[in-house]
Amino acid sequence: MPSFNDRNLIPRGLERCSLQGFALRLAPWLLLFAFGAYCIYLCLRFGLNQTNMDNRFAFGLWIFLDLTVIALGAGAFFTGFLLYLMKWKALKSVINSAVIIGFVCYSGAMVALAVDVGQPLRAWFTFWHPNVHSMLTEVSFCITCYLTVLAVEYIPILLKNRKLKQIPSFLVFEFELHKVIPVLAAVGTLLSFFHQGSLGGLYGVLRGRPFAYREGFAIWPSTFFLFILSAIAVGPSFILLTTKLAEKLSRKPLVRGGVYQMLGKTSGVLLTVYVALKSVDTLIWLNKTSQAAGFTPFEFYTFKPFGTWILFAEIVLLGLVPALLLLSSRMRARPAVLTGAAILACCGVALNRFVLTIQTLALPTLPFDEFLSYFPSWQEFGVFAAVLAYGVLVYAVSFRYLPLFPDEKQLTAPVETEELEYVSRS
Amino acid sequence: MAATKKHRRYGMVVDIDLCTGCGACMVACAAENNVAPAPERATDRTGITPMRVYPVHNGAPGDRRQTAFLPLMCMHCSEPPCESVCPQQAVELDEATGIVTQMPQRCLGCRYCMTACPYHARYFNWWDPQWPVGMEATLNPTVAPRSRGVVEKCNLCASRLHAAEDQATAEGQPMPATYVSACVEACPTGAMVLGDLDDPDTEAHKLAKAEGTFQLLAKLGTRPKVYYHSSRPWVRSLSERNAKEQAHA
Amino acid sequence: MFPGVNGFHWTFGHILFVSIFCMVGLVILTTAIVAAYRSWRDARLNREPRIRWQSDFHDLSDRERRCRHMLSGETKSRLCPNAFECRDCVTHPKFVELAPVAEQMVPVETYGMDFPPENYYHRGHAWVRPEENGTLVVGLDDLGRRLIGPPDHVELPAPGTQLENNGVAWRGDRNGVSFRVLAPVEGEVVETGGPDKGWYLRLRPVANKPTDLRHLLHGYEVSGWLRDELDRLQMLLSPEATGPSLADGGVLMEDLSKAQPGANWDKVMGEMFLEP
Repeated sequence: MPSFNDRNLIPRGLERCSLQGFALRLAPWLLLFAFGAYCIYLCLRFGLNQTNMDNRFAFGLWIFLDLTVIALGAGAFFTGFLLYLMKWKALKSVINSAVIIGFVCYSGAMVALAVDVGQPLRAWFTFWHPNVHSMLTEVSFCITCYLTVLAVEYIPILLKNRKLKQIPSFLVFEFELHKVIPVLAAVGTLLSFFHQGSLGGLYGVLRGRPFAYREGFAIWPSTFFLFILSAIAVGPSFILLTTKLAEKLSRKPLVRGGVYQMLGKTSGVLLTVYVALKSVDTLIWLNKTSQAAGFTPFEFYTFKPFGTWILFAEIVLLGLVPALLLLSSRMRARPAVLTGAAILACCGVALNRFVLTIQTLALPTLPFDEFLSYFPSWQEFGVFAAVLAYGVLVYAVSFRYLPLFPDEKQLTAPVETEELEYVSRS
Repeated sequence: MAATKKHRRYGMVVDIDLCTGCGACMVACAAENNVAPAPERATDRTGITPMRVYPVHNGAPGDRRQTAFLPLMCMHCSEPPCESVCPQQAVELDEATGIVTQMPQRCLGCRYCMTACPYHARYFNWWDPQWPVGMEATLNPTVAPRSRGVVEKCNLCASRLHAAEDQATAEGQPMPATYVSACVEACPTGAMVLGDLDDPDTEAHKLAKAEGTFQLLAKLGTRPKVYYHSSRPWVRSLSERNAKEQAHA
Repeated sequence: MFPGVNGFHWTFGHILFVSIFCMVGLVILTTAIVAAYRSWRDARLNREPRIRWQSDFHDLSDRERRCRHMLSGETKSRLCPNAFECRDCVTHPKFVELAPVAEQMVPVETYGMDFPPENYYHRGHAWVRPEENGTLVVGLDDLGRRLIGPPDHVELPAPGTQLENNGVAWRGDRNGVSFRVLAPVEGEVVETGGPDKGWYLRLRPVANKPTDLRHLLHGYEVSGWLRDELDRLQMLLSPEATGPSLADGGVLMEDLSKAQPGANWDKVMGEMFLEP
């Protein structure tokens, strides 16, 4: 058997497992991806009757997935913003990884969205006759632009591949592109800011759904601002978690410890602000907005299993607790606490997105209507799995063949203990 | 032309006390609008029922229980929550008629409007529309069928309005103050009345102003143009979610 | 908003929205075009070798970027900010002024390897020797030679090729591990040698420019550098420091690739020849 070797594609000086080992580890993900691709085919070919969504539960698992991965993917733009515009140089060691995470999250969300709509081929209509009052228009525009930005930001990382950079024009293009990256980081920040917000606005503007409806400033409901804040609060946490996971799986140090502290602290500070504002927002909503719409707020929480515990879990357990843990430098210094708090923070945002998408639809509005339940079909789970597997595959392949962590080489180099003697007898 | 064209604000008043729940309006609506027969796997939550009769009761036990039927269709809100959310202008509030129009040929099928609607009056085409062989002959030629993957809803039988308008124009008359939609035509008890709510001569106008008339979820500020009427207080209490809670208490 | 859309009319919202969208699109496009134009210009002006070295140098580890005056012990800690181009360095002349190179006064410690004192050494293990006739001879130094051993294949530039300082002088491979050697000086290739001849290239210096070899290591400076290089090599080959000694009777073994087949030679070649 001819032994194909991909050593010449792996960055020089980095230790990676054998190609066979790599393929073996990716095989389950490839299978999962193939299964998911089949589900995508089913949904596109036979229509959305393959899902368990219905006229009442018009949005389901996929929208929850989109909102969550896009919130977690906020680490990409926010890290870029801190590094290139705020000059937090230490973040250089995670920026490549952050860009890929962002790219994976956004492109994955785009795929899920394309499957989720009934007529994907009409997506361009939004650009041809947009309704400028719709939050979804804002989302479509910003995500399309930002995905382009992420793709352009991905190019220099891709061109850093050992084989690709041998090609002179690629090398030169990478070099020149890298010089203008701050411009893209600035554009990306602007775009992300607006679409993270408009994703929140998506539900906040629903006057007909008092559970989701919020008042706000100008054309934007308060969820617009809360979504931005929560996304930039957990973005760094998610970068922290993925990097830690990559370290654990590759059994190598990839970034210096200070970077984790920096990411954790950033998350902590922003999460604290978020929790405070979210609490104020919730109080206003309970006491004013929802009452004005003719709904008793606590009726929202009378349906099992969506009791008030969900509100408590979202704001205190998965909001305040990780915020305080990340804020205290003593707690943060302990790796287990840091990782745990980051996980809690990410779960908190996922729960927030879940409540806003799923609970909103489950709750009845008409007086003679009932609380609804919905459980996704296997095709829906399949598409979810495809997005997940796609992310894992892109990240794993990038990790193997691209220099994702600039510090890895130095950190894995043997420690210099003392001056060694080379010549035994001289 | 513009001077003679009068703006209308068509709406409906449904007398719940007259509704027997026979469902003739639902059948008539489906036939009029070329709604394809539901596939085998369809449920009451995936079928297409632009007009849908809900049974309601007063919540009391035993022989004190009272039942009524509430035909629910698009409320043709004056402040439609679905219109502003559509990303590609497939939903439009027609200024000339007050009808909230859904343009299926523009619809992306994102279903955002469905989540926005508090009345659940919007329906998604989960399946390709298919008619049994021979049934195509019964299709209504004035209404275009909708393809899979788009949202549809009651458009107050716009094709019937157009026909009435054409006839009025031919006779040199202004836009009619009233016309007959499929559901109104089918209702055996005459529980439904359609007409220009702003025209003081229409019955719809009079009934909308009558004692015991209410709108659904009026506090949401959607300003529905479909009104309901009942002389029974417990039926009227169905107008608000809150009020129902109190009525049951 | 565009042609053929029935019933569409412009509002302030549309104008605002579309102009922001177009602006953003324009910025992204312009950025990409600027990068593409600049790379086209770089390619036309043949800046690729310089950019490649800049990019490689950027990716080198701190250990590899140490200033020569740190290796010689003149300063405690300093990383090179100039991509080993000492001729452009403002600090280098100051160091030279403080401690002028003592010409051949003390015997230079070369750890048993052959480093002729008349040669000038590049950090990437190439040497330069100015000849009487004005040409420059370039070769691989003894450490480099022992690292590679007899190469399986060498790809030399054709006579007439213009080499840039720190550009790629030649490529080769041994046992499937490729390596490249950086040009220690700029010039036009006039003759090629090879591994058996003891030299690789003969260069004609760039016209109208006196050959300036200040950026290369010479004299006693070689000692400190060699010590550091052997340090790195030892750690690369046997990280635990308890592994087999590189020394064989007092000197580095002749063909290291052959003597230590278990080592990660791809990494060793990359680090020793400054190729990240």
